[in-house]
Amino acid sequence: MKPLEGIRVIDLTQAMAAPFCTMNLADMGADVIKIEPPGEGEPTRQLGAAQKNGHSATFMTMNRGKRGIAVDLKQPEGVEIVRKLAATADVFVQNYRPGVVKRLGLDFESLQKINPRLIYCQISGFGNTGPYASRGGYDLIAQGMSGVISVTGDEDGPPAKSGIPLADLAAGLFGAYGILSALEYRERTGEGQLVDTSLLEAAMALTVWESSEYWTTGKAPKPKGSAHRNSAPYQALKASDGYFTVGAGNDKLFAAFCAALGRKDFLEDARFASRAARLAHRRELEAEIEKITGRETRAAWLAHLEQAGVPAGPINNYAEALADPHALARGMVVDLVHPGAGDIKALGVPVKLSETPGAVDRAAPLLGEHTAQILNELCYSESEQAALLSKGVVQ
Amino acid sequence: MVSQKNPPPGETPGALAGLRVIDQTQVMAGPFCSMLLADMGAEVIKVEPLEGETMRQERVIAPGVSASFLALNRNKRSLALDLKQPGGVEVLKKLAASADVLVENYRPGVAGRLGVDYETLKKINPRLIYCSISGFGQTGPYASRGGFDLIAQGMSGIMSATGSEGGPPVKVGVPITDLGAGLFAVFGILCALRARRTTGRGQFVDTSLFEAGLALSAWEATEYWYTGQIPKRLGTAHRLNAPYQAFKASDGYFTVGAANNKLWALFAEMLGLGELVTDPRFNTVGGRMQNRLQLEKLLEAATSKQSRAHWLERCEQAGVPAGPIYSVAEAHADPQAQARGMTLEYEYPGVGWVKALGNPVKLSKTPARLRKVPPRLGEDSDAILRELGYGADEVKALRAKKAVA
Repeated sequence: MKPLEGIRVIDLTQAMAAPFCTMNLADMGADVIKIEPPGEGEPTRQLGAAQKNGHSATFMTMNRGKRGIAVDLKQPEGVEIVRKLAATADVFVQNYRPGVVKRLGLDFESLQKINPRLIYCQISGFGNTGPYASRGGYDLIAQGMSGVISVTGDEDGPPAKSGIPLADLAAGLFGAYGILSALEYRERTGEGQLVDTSLLEAAMALTVWESSEYWTTGKAPKPKGSAHRNSAPYQALKASDGYFTVGAGNDKLFAAFCAALGRKDFLEDARFASRAARLAHRRELEAEIEKITGRETRAAWLAHLEQAGVPAGPINNYAEALADPHALARGMVVDLVHPGAGDIKALGVPVKLSETPGAVDRAAPLLGEHTAQILNELCYSESEQAALLSKGVVQ
Repeated sequence: MVSQKNPPPGETPGALAGLRVIDQTQVMAGPFCSMLLADMGAEVIKVEPLEGETMRQERVIAPGVSASFLALNRNKRSLALDLKQPGGVEVLKKLAASADVLVENYRPGVAGRLGVDYETLKKINPRLIYCSISGFGQTGPYASRGGFDLIAQGMSGIMSATGSEGGPPVKVGVPITDLGAGLFAVFGILCALRARRTTGRGQFVDTSLFEAGLALSAWEATEYWYTGQIPKRLGTAHRLNAPYQAFKASDGYFTVGAANNKLWALFAEMLGLGELVTDPRFNTVGGRMQNRLQLEKLLEAATSKQSRAHWLERCEQAGVPAGPIYSVAEAHADPQAQARGMTLEYEYPGVGWVKALGNPVKLSKTPARLRKVPPRLGEDSDAILRELGYGADEVKALRAKKAVA
């Protein structure tokens, strides 16, 4: 048994944030029904460079474990199918701009009337209220407006964003947190509710240390390359053949690091003797340390530091990260078979439940793969289904 | 009662009211996880060593008050307990017997040495959901290693995809694997709560910074597996689309996401570069990706002639998604962030008004709210011990033995 078995989720989403939310619910066993327009399907089905046998990799990545139905929402019979689905569901997730769902009668207020237990989650660029509610938003824009770009990158370089789309991903996770919290409330009261989050808010919620620094010092934090805001040494350091990371910010780890470097004298040096002093003299400390680390390879230092109990690691590229023995031992790379693409790989579930573990065991649906199955569940007769098909309401 | 500026109206209960959480965590990933539960109304009891968790020493803004601690520990109660004393361990066991959830982020093995690991506590409370957050998880070859956000960012591949090509290594400026692990832990705990309704039993929930970093690399893993190319560092640009990046205006940078043919055409025409729309180098996403640096040059020749404010206004008129690159200060001052309650302001006794981040998820019936300011060390020790059935004399004896403070 998976933990969310028996929870039905209607997934009227596209692109990344909201599909990532429902993908996580599907990994944990929820019955996620993805609704797509007939013909081309959701936009990420369009082929870019990442594809296999004509199947879009980005779509397959974000939609594993879901069932798929293709429904034309421009026809009233199509909207009716989605309303019927919403009546059977626990959760409804959508990421249209505010206004679009209202025109279709698929907004929270309308669906709540047919299913008061429904938890309706909306993930948008800026949230359902406020002056920018109607604007479109992307991860990049949210990273820029949340302050995340302002604290990422080289100290004097051009702007850099988080290489991973963290506003999208975090909004998806915060959405899942809101949905599951609302499910707990529903257990006690029988009432559904609206769960409303956005890329902007998700990215801002990740600026915990940076906001705190600003409110405490009155100064807006700046990018620091790979270094930590509040402790040192905690950064990438240069070995003879490239960089590796070391986190030795507290006094105990710093002492162990100095011993491993053969420079216990740093502990007596007034510039480095306390956490505050090290932070104030971070550049000098880095220069002193790199004089030593530059003499040996990354591999040699990682071996020394593991023995010394100092947290350190390589800077892996994705080929290395996805082949790392620990990543494999933790089940982070999963093999799947997709009906069209054949053998594919997917990322595993990062949180392990001992009794009712989640699992990645089904690839993303083909467009309309489960249309007939789902219409049968909704008790559409064969002749009704044939009529819907011939009118192009479903595919 | 918390004295707070602009609290959400009403006095609704939290979605997670009635849930009792023991929070044996420190620094970031664990406290972030338990704070998210507390924001939704769970009763979170933070169990700290007698000297307080390590973050209480950082960014001290008044005697005994740390801004870093405040940032992640609101809505929690504090119990100061020495787990190296039998009396302290006994208190923790009694707490665990009464709890729904326990969250800890020790290095694997430490909880076992203290006698408060899952195997021990599930015998006392089979319904307990026990969540461990660590650097690498409880199993696998690196299980016993200590892990920090930096190390996890490096090993998961995130650093290899962040920053500008050719520059020194850069991490994501916010500790994304700490925060991601906290979020996945919340997700796992809430899933385990659902399962408990069916099975009647708790379980062990195990996640890590490293795995969170990998799970957040969905796009990059996809690029690598399907194209065979190793994702590179692209500054602010997108892996699969263009133009979608920061552009230089006369007074700094702004972001533009013109990530499909329609938006691209709008953006090019807005810049007076309509001829580029049909240019064979740029008339498809693939072409724009392939010729991205050329495209950037052509577009920046136009954008650099006017200010950020000018272009942002023009983009809004044209319907092209765009935005400023705010400092954290500007982010909090933005009217949308304000309207969405992303900055809380409350009175901290003995300190005055302090600010905090709002919860990013808005629930219509049971909104997250500030019910309790972050606790002073051991602020709730007596009350919690009395609730567990310890008499006044027993509490006094525990204090005398320094098992509790």
